[in-house]
Amino acid sequence: MVNLAGNSLLPTIPAIIVGSIIIGIVGVVFGLLFRGVDRKLVAHMQGRIGPPIVQPFRDVRKLLVKETIVPDDALSWLFNAAPLICLVTTIVLLLYIPLFGQKALLDGFGDSILILYLLIVPSLAFVAGGFASSSPYATVGAQREMVIMMSYEFSLALVIVAIARCIVPVTNAHAFMLSTVAAYPIWNLMGPIGVVGALVLLFALLVVTPGEVSKVPFDIAEAETEIAGGILVEYSGRNLALFYLADVTKAFVMISLVVALFFPYNLSAVIGISAGIPAAIVDALFFLVKVFLTMFVSVILVRTAMARFKISQASYVYLIAMTLISLVGLILIGVDLRM
Amino acid sequence: MDETKTRYTIPVGPIHPALKEPIRLDLEVDGELIVDVDVIVGQVHRGIEWLGMNRNNPIQNIYLSERVCGICNICHPFAYVMAVEQAMGITPPERAEYIRVIIAEMERIHSHLLWAGVAAHEIGFDTVFYLVWRFREEIMDLIEYLTGNRVTKAMFQIGGVRRDIAEEQFPRIRKSLDYYKSIFDQLKTVFLDDRTIRMRTRNVGILKTEDALRLLAVGPTGRASGVPKDVRQDQPYGGYADLDVKAITPDLLTGAVVGDVYDRIIVRLLEVKQSVEIIEQCLEEMPPGPILAEPKIAKLLNALTKAEGEGIGRAEAPRGEVVHYVRLEAGRETLSNWKIRAPTYVNLMSIPTMLKGGQIADVPIAFASIDPCMSCTNRAVVVDLRTTKHSLLTGEELHQLSVEKTRKLKGGEFGRQ
Amino acid sequence: MGVVSIILKQLFLKPATNKFPAKYAPTSTIQFLEKVKRGELELTPPITVPPKFRGKMSYDREKCTGCKLCVRICPTKAIEFIPEEKKVKIFVSRCCFCAQCVEICPVDALAMTDEFLLSSYDKYADELIVTK
Repeated sequence: MVNLAGNSLLPTIPAIIVGSIIIGIVGVVFGLLFRGVDRKLVAHMQGRIGPPIVQPFRDVRKLLVKETIVPDDALSWLFNAAPLICLVTTIVLLLYIPLFGQKALLDGFGDSILILYLLIVPSLAFVAGGFASSSPYATVGAQREMVIMMSYEFSLALVIVAIARCIVPVTNAHAFMLSTVAAYPIWNLMGPIGVVGALVLLFALLVVTPGEVSKVPFDIAEAETEIAGGILVEYSGRNLALFYLADVTKAFVMISLVVALFFPYNLSAVIGISAGIPAAIVDALFFLVKVFLTMFVSVILVRTAMARFKISQASYVYLIAMTLISLVGLILIGVDLRM
Repeated sequence: MDETKTRYTIPVGPIHPALKEPIRLDLEVDGELIVDVDVIVGQVHRGIEWLGMNRNNPIQNIYLSERVCGICNICHPFAYVMAVEQAMGITPPERAEYIRVIIAEMERIHSHLLWAGVAAHEIGFDTVFYLVWRFREEIMDLIEYLTGNRVTKAMFQIGGVRRDIAEEQFPRIRKSLDYYKSIFDQLKTVFLDDRTIRMRTRNVGILKTEDALRLLAVGPTGRASGVPKDVRQDQPYGGYADLDVKAITPDLLTGAVVGDVYDRIIVRLLEVKQSVEIIEQCLEEMPPGPILAEPKIAKLLNALTKAEGEGIGRAEAPRGEVVHYVRLEAGRETLSNWKIRAPTYVNLMSIPTMLKGGQIADVPIAFASIDPCMSCTNRAVVVDLRTTKHSLLTGEELHQLSVEKTRKLKGGEFGRQ
Repeated sequence: MGVVSIILKQLFLKPATNKFPAKYAPTSTIQFLEKVKRGELELTPPITVPPKFRGKMSYDREKCTGCKLCVRICPTKAIEFIPEEKKVKIFVSRCCFCAQCVEICPVDALAMTDEFLLSSYDKYADELIVTK
């Protein structure tokens, strides 16, 4: 077994297993921490105090001790499997994305196209869980989630393709690999028109992020006031805890992906700290700052400042508006490359 | 019903996050499109009219009528007290009439701001919800200062009001009114100029003028559809006879009447402004004098036991026109007859027209836009329209009593509608 | 957009919440109250109520003449007459705080205080029955 860079896989299997467990735990912990920070900031922006930052941990602990109810009419094997699949695939995504300024654990074994495919699986598990609960609210929520998923895939794909397109003329390395993207950040490769194109693509990706992460204005699948919780209406106890963990981890994953595609810089090189533990710590902290800033702009601020869209409006925004905008970004980058 | 494969029924209620009070809406949907709506009320029936007629004397009934609804908690005693005064033949002094108007307008401000926050919450805009309720705290503090409690204000007495608004309290009132005048622009920006709110409320839940007239919509629901009816304008009661109150319709701000949720927001926000102006006018023109026609309550109680007559009180609640009918019999300490018709009862009829053809996502906001107060509504009797659903009402003997009473009153109150 | 400037400003202003009894909800209210009693923790006080607030009843036994007008007027039947002593007993758990009894009493034996922290696990607890 050989990865895309030509190295053999066999000696590193134990390292991969241990690394996956560590990354899984780290990803979930930081996902919960960022969710706590999100709630605190939203509360202060709304003039309240909000819960303490460790509240999501308490929520998960509370959910795990509660009774897990499975409705009689539900498809129980799918009902119980969906949350687990959701969480597991989200953690698998973490293995392919560069975190904390380091290379991804399975770097070389998967590129951004694989990530694009893997991003669909948690949402599919979500939808399957919704259809498996025998409630009309869950069915409506699952339908809405499918519509949103299908709508934003095109823009997401266009962004990834555009970035790879910039890298191809510059290097022989595999253009879709995130480590290559980290080595050749898009801002360094472009002239002024290309930078504008890249900004347009960044905007499109930031609009896709709340939809991917199911936050206002695109949290239609779990609209609390309209369909009483949507997909999650019949879930309780351990299953709900798993869905909650998957939700927070997916937010962390998606923002890390945005950071990996558009802001893969490392601070240690800039301020002159040499390689080793100090550099790793500085890089990790800088990564957290980048994730926080991106989350603030794309999820927290938007969540507080907007109302929820209807499904027709949301799919219009993604399918028509964002696709056109991404196309414009791609065209601008193409024009810049020709020059 | 041959398309049973694509259509299914979504129940909304009696317990649902979109509803503040229990009601059941059965929506028949085709994907996201609503095809039919069935409204089933009766979940909050508490037997208030029965209590009023069998256990309480008329003074105790004031507090019972106050608790018909927590939000519209002045308009019910207002209409009730006017009905009893008409039955007894006593007139409250002028100062009491003005104080009643001031308190009623304060309640209107608080109720409309509460509704604005709830409507924002229904469309998922929690930030505006917290913001508007923060504005509302000012009027609640003022109400607590004047009446002793934030809700259940206990200001009404048969023949006048219980507490006076003294001159020393005027500066505090004026401070609150100035505060509201200063934030009115902010309210407008946050609600009427916001793009996402406009996207969710424009052309949603439309009630055309002909439909509003046909379905007898009252209050802001009717006025937003272009029907300029307001009890304070058409049949002024209490202190409103000296003031000049005009019904507010949305074309005062936008020049056109569409009859959607956005228009209802406009009407309610403009009414808040109107209420502030009315309170100011009352403060300036307040006549001196007593506040009770009969200050000794024991004497009043005896006079009530000996009185005979019937009376009707109409008031403009924040949700529309509320009517109380009262009948007193000599020698009987409790009321002989009491009937309440709350405005939401009438406005509920417009719900199917508003919701059909819309999306499920529009149901909470369209439903909330008529400002439903189920606690008020379940005063009313629904048996005669939905005889097949009588099993949903609570209490068999209460149901029987209600049916008998409806038949008794059919010639009087119901005949007017 | 208007809302964005409002929320960014509010991020740096003091929150509107009154932190009664503590900033974050305590894990166990009973332990929290015990610690407050021992002086280990401080209770943030609630907002002061205005004068003439309608709180718990207070009853002057000496002045009461036993005329039973308050019993007749109470909308919730919260006042009970004790025939042997010709005095009354008020059940706060039933009281709706309308103060009608205060107005009708001919000797001003009843009044309303500004106490409103009245919860208890037992509706017939001693704090909730006013006898003097």
